[in-house]
Amino acid sequence: MGSLRRIGAVAGNTFLEAVRQKVFAVLLVFGLVLIYGANYFTEFSFQEQFKFLKDLGYAAISLTGLLVGLLGATQLIPGEIERRTILTALCRPLRRWEFIVGKYLGLSILLAVMIGVMAVAVAGVLGWKEAQLIAREGSDPAVAALIRAEARDPRLIQAVVLLEVKLAVVAAIAVFFSTVATSTTFVMAMTLMVYLIGHLQSVAREQWLESGEVASWAAKFFLAGVAFLVPDFNLYNLIDEIVAGNAVSWRSTLEVVGYSGVYIAVLLTAASVVFEGRDI
Amino acid sequence: MSAAVQTVGLRKEFPMGWFRGRVLALEGLDMEVHRGEVFGLLGPNGSGKSTAMKMILGLLRPTRGRAEVCGYRAGTIAARRQIGFLPENPYFPNFLSGAELVRYYGRLSGMGGRVLEKRIQELLEMVRLGGEAGKRPLRTYSKGMLQRAGLAGALVGDPEILMLDEPTAGVDPAGSREIRDLILELRQRGKTVIFSSHLLEQVEDVADRVIILHRGQKLREGKLDDLLTRKKEWEVNVQGLKEEDRKELRGWLEKRGVQVVREGAPRERLEDYFLRSLPEEKQR
Repeated sequence: MGSLRRIGAVAGNTFLEAVRQKVFAVLLVFGLVLIYGANYFTEFSFQEQFKFLKDLGYAAISLTGLLVGLLGATQLIPGEIERRTILTALCRPLRRWEFIVGKYLGLSILLAVMIGVMAVAVAGVLGWKEAQLIAREGSDPAVAALIRAEARDPRLIQAVVLLEVKLAVVAAIAVFFSTVATSTTFVMAMTLMVYLIGHLQSVAREQWLESGEVASWAAKFFLAGVAFLVPDFNLYNLIDEIVAGNAVSWRSTLEVVGYSGVYIAVLLTAASVVFEGRDI
Repeated sequence: MSAAVQTVGLRKEFPMGWFRGRVLALEGLDMEVHRGEVFGLLGPNGSGKSTAMKMILGLLRPTRGRAEVCGYRAGTIAARRQIGFLPENPYFPNFLSGAELVRYYGRLSGMGGRVLEKRIQELLEMVRLGGEAGKRPLRTYSKGMLQRAGLAGALVGDPEILMLDEPTAGVDPAGSREIRDLILELRQRGKTVIFSSHLLEQVEDVADRVIILHRGQKLREGKLDDLLTRKKEWEVNVQGLKEEDRKELRGWLEKRGVQVVREGAPRERLEDYFLRSLPEEKQR
């Protein structure tokens, strides 16, 4: 109970800081981009227009979320150390792991709220487009039904969930590196490196499993290390599948959520162990 | 009953980076602070005062030696429950208001609900930040107000010990006097106060005992009365002594073989004179 209250206090403060520093102002830019995009390509078929809107919407959510998540997470602990506000927090009866988890949770809530609001904005613009197109081309009930089906695709919820867990993993990687180093640049560079390796991880795993006698013992060991330690970011390509209109089962979605949860737990545990022994 | 704080052979070395060796910040500090006393850690910048404090708080790990707080090993949750800390500069999340800062620190100390809200009001009143002042963001506070807000935050968990790192650094004389008065009030309430300072005249006004550090080593330790009293001298301050009486008194003293070390009208301290000159101080 005490732990929960302390973690809640750190998380709440982290979220409040972001709100008061006007992080949500980026949402306004996002909304404007989306509305501008909605009036583009009006000469194309409605299927193409919806596809463009979904692509644009989800790419913008992904990019905005990645930027906020990465910048936020790299500042999370080094920022507190730099401003020395960490001194007045960690001298309280607060365990260091509680501080790490609270900080991470605050950022994750911020990301979830931002992605949620952006997803609602995308849904809103799709609805607006639907009304526009039905008014123009929907005199035939069959066409109107097709337009509605394109605009109100429930699978987009899966894409939002996957996007949130993907960014939560990126934030956990940044939190881990920020307990090792004090330099924000180093944390950012290392996180981006892992993010890129994560996209190539499946290649490393295939090499490790299928290299047979070709690869040396050391190379196999390295490839196995990469395959185990770095999360496979290709798994989140399901988002692209969903946005492209392909069916993805909830089972696969939840498997990816579970996989991400394990990585987040491991990263936060490692971050807590490293941070425990660190001089402040 | 165990001491409020005890350190035995406390040593801290900081690594300078790869292949650059280590720097010694504190060398074998033995120190005992009794419960209910005001204890001053004195020394120039870089003498190891803040390092010692941070090790007692558990923010730094000792290279060697140990520190205990009310009988608990320094850095443990039980030890940290006993201490409230005010850092050297007001390093607080400046997006919060005074009341929110105290609430945040209260929650970190495991407090909540009505008990916490009542405590916040009491503390803000005590440090003269009640009412509208407590609702303003910290970034609009003066240095003195920030220190007082920090003090309220340090006291929120009702700790046995209060540690203040250079509490009056950068604060004007009036703000400094307020902090000094608060320290004295806390002593009256039975709290142990440990504070570091290089402003010696302020320490003199409030500390019961002091320790003097220099380049990480303890130079002196003791009660202020023992350290500062010139036992071979005697001082009498009188009013209304005429010039011929002075001459007679001097002659009387010389006849008895007493050496006159100092003679003349005593001077007031500049700080006291300054504070007396301020209109608000005149009203107090």
